[in-house]
Amino acid sequence: MKKRTNILRFCLLFAVGVIAVRLFFIQIIQHSEWVAKADAQHTLKNTIMAKRGEIYMMDGDEAVAVVMNETVYTLIVDPMMADEEKTKEVVEEYAKDNLVAKWEDVFKNKTRRYYIVARNVSRASVEKIREEELIGVSFQENTKRVYPEGELASGLLGFVNLDGKGQYGVEGSLNTELAGTNGLLKTVSDVNNIALSIGDNNIKVPAEDGKNIVLTIDRNVQYAVEKALANGMERTGATNASAIVMNPNNGEILAVANLPTYNASEYWNVKDAGSYINYVFDDPIEPASVCKTFTFSAAIDLGAMTPETTYYNAGYTTVDGWKIENAYKGLIGTVSMQTALGWSLNTGSIQALRLMGGDADAINQSGREKLYDYYYNKFGLGQKTGVEIYEANVAIADPNVGNGRDSMYANMTFGQNIQLTMLQVAAAFSSVVNGGEYYTPTIVAGEVKDGEFIEADKKEAVRRTISETTSATMRDMLVKARKVWKNAVDKKGYTVGGKSGTAQAIKNGQYVFDETYATYIGFGSEKGEMPAYVVMVRLWADGKTMNGGNDALPVFTEISDYMIDYLKLKPTE
Amino acid sequence: MRESTSNWGRNRNTIRHTPKSLGSVSQTVILGVLVLIVGMIYVAQGTKATNYDYELSSLEGEISELEMKKEDLAVERARLTSVAVAQDSEVAVAMEDAQVSGYAD
Repeated sequence: MKKRTNILRFCLLFAVGVIAVRLFFIQIIQHSEWVAKADAQHTLKNTIMAKRGEIYMMDGDEAVAVVMNETVYTLIVDPMMADEEKTKEVVEEYAKDNLVAKWEDVFKNKTRRYYIVARNVSRASVEKIREEELIGVSFQENTKRVYPEGELASGLLGFVNLDGKGQYGVEGSLNTELAGTNGLLKTVSDVNNIALSIGDNNIKVPAEDGKNIVLTIDRNVQYAVEKALANGMERTGATNASAIVMNPNNGEILAVANLPTYNASEYWNVKDAGSYINYVFDDPIEPASVCKTFTFSAAIDLGAMTPETTYYNAGYTTVDGWKIENAYKGLIGTVSMQTALGWSLNTGSIQALRLMGGDADAINQSGREKLYDYYYNKFGLGQKTGVEIYEANVAIADPNVGNGRDSMYANMTFGQNIQLTMLQVAAAFSSVVNGGEYYTPTIVAGEVKDGEFIEADKKEAVRRTISETTSATMRDMLVKARKVWKNAVDKKGYTVGGKSGTAQAIKNGQYVFDETYATYIGFGSEKGEMPAYVVMVRLWADGKTMNGGNDALPVFTEISDYMIDYLKLKPTE
Repeated sequence: MRESTSNWGRNRNTIRHTPKSLGSVSQTVILGVLVLIVGMIYVAQGTKATNYDYELSSLEGEISELEMKKEDLAVERARLTSVAVAQDSEVAVAMEDAQVSGYAD
């Protein structure tokens, strides 16, 4: 009897010992591991997603949203649980347009537990489907960008990819500001994953929503500009067109249009990735004869010439052994600089460069350096403007380093051998006509915070480019230059001036002769007043020769007429 | 007849003062009850906090739902007031260009 008791005692002791050892291992040796397992089961760790900021445009003085967020749902079916007929019927009724799967594929393999059937289903549709109490149908919440203005300004705005990252345009350039900062929630939860406040290590870092950015773009102007470009493309057969409208008195950009546009909410359907490009900011081009405006401004500002200064136009001139011809073959003989600008004579702008160097017969170092000083240091050509979003890197040739500087600078006087963005040209042109002050172009007007538009500080002029007198002279020259074109018919009672440009396209680093693109830049104002707007237009098509005066000028006129009405400029008889 | 000499004391109340104390069983029971009460209070408070959490979660859900509805309405409003919609509206289409006949300062 005692022996049995001893055996039982020993067994019990052994069992207790085993349990004690096991407990020691679990509680002491493997403590952290088991605590982690327990935490994983009852700790809720969620990222609190920051709301991406919306993008606004101006509508007069009011900011209106043009890129917004919408909650949408992904509809998921569990083929094993779902009733095939009922599910099909209900989903087809409320989310037919959002289906991304074929029903025969969904229910082909009934052992599968997860099949995405529809995407971007609206909340209203989800509510209807939920009312049907379908078994085996669940929803996953997502946010997507919506564009109430459709494709308006798509090339400027960019899009947000499937990872939630901004791509191209404003979305790409200001992604950090728009994205905000995600928050964190770490807390004890119940079986239904509901956060509980019990526990000592709960963390809640609220998300910081992205900024709601307001652009200086006026949606009415933007719409009118895109319409004018579309009309121009139809009229001329151009496949692409771009335009920028600026307020020359403060650098605010009122419209940036690139056609063709695309549907940013379905950016993946775009066949030509060129549609994503904001050609106004991102595409350096040879601006061609619109550059004569800058050459003449510099020469007049230096006192080297006046609009009445004359020279002999032989139809061509020779520099560094290169024969440089005019596009217009007439007007051989003595002509004024005003005539040279109006008829866009290359010989005239080259003569202006010679005069800047103090030698009417030859281009010299002094002339080149002076042109460089105006182009680069004053007009900011060949350097980034400092606008808030992405712009292309550009450069301008050194006036003294390298061979053939004279011919290079001769070409630069009429916009060849120099690559600039339309933004740079428009900003510099604004300073030519606004009295001679350069404003950094700006596209961000402020932000919307708690429903209120908070305007950013207005930017001051950063430097003087030319004197007020030179600016007034240039305005007058540009008005006369515009009138050379018979098709330049403006609203009566206003001052409208401008300059055309026709540039040879460059393919694989070589000028081609069967493709030119058309540009036109100009301004408009009440008579005797400072310009109220500056517009630059560019049209082009692969393998097509286009002309600034014939093709781009009418588009400018249409936009200019609109601006006169929109800004309520007062005519003078 | 002789009266009992002890009768005089029959109705005398005698009081004996003795110290009263709870027995050890009672003390244990009372202590147990007290511990139970404190425990119940603790559990009740814990449950109350959890109930608040459920209420909070439910309210947060409602707020989120209402915010979504508000966003939907804002999007719809923006769509209805977009430039393209305004330009293509029946009213806008039926408009004629203004004829300027003169200006007044």
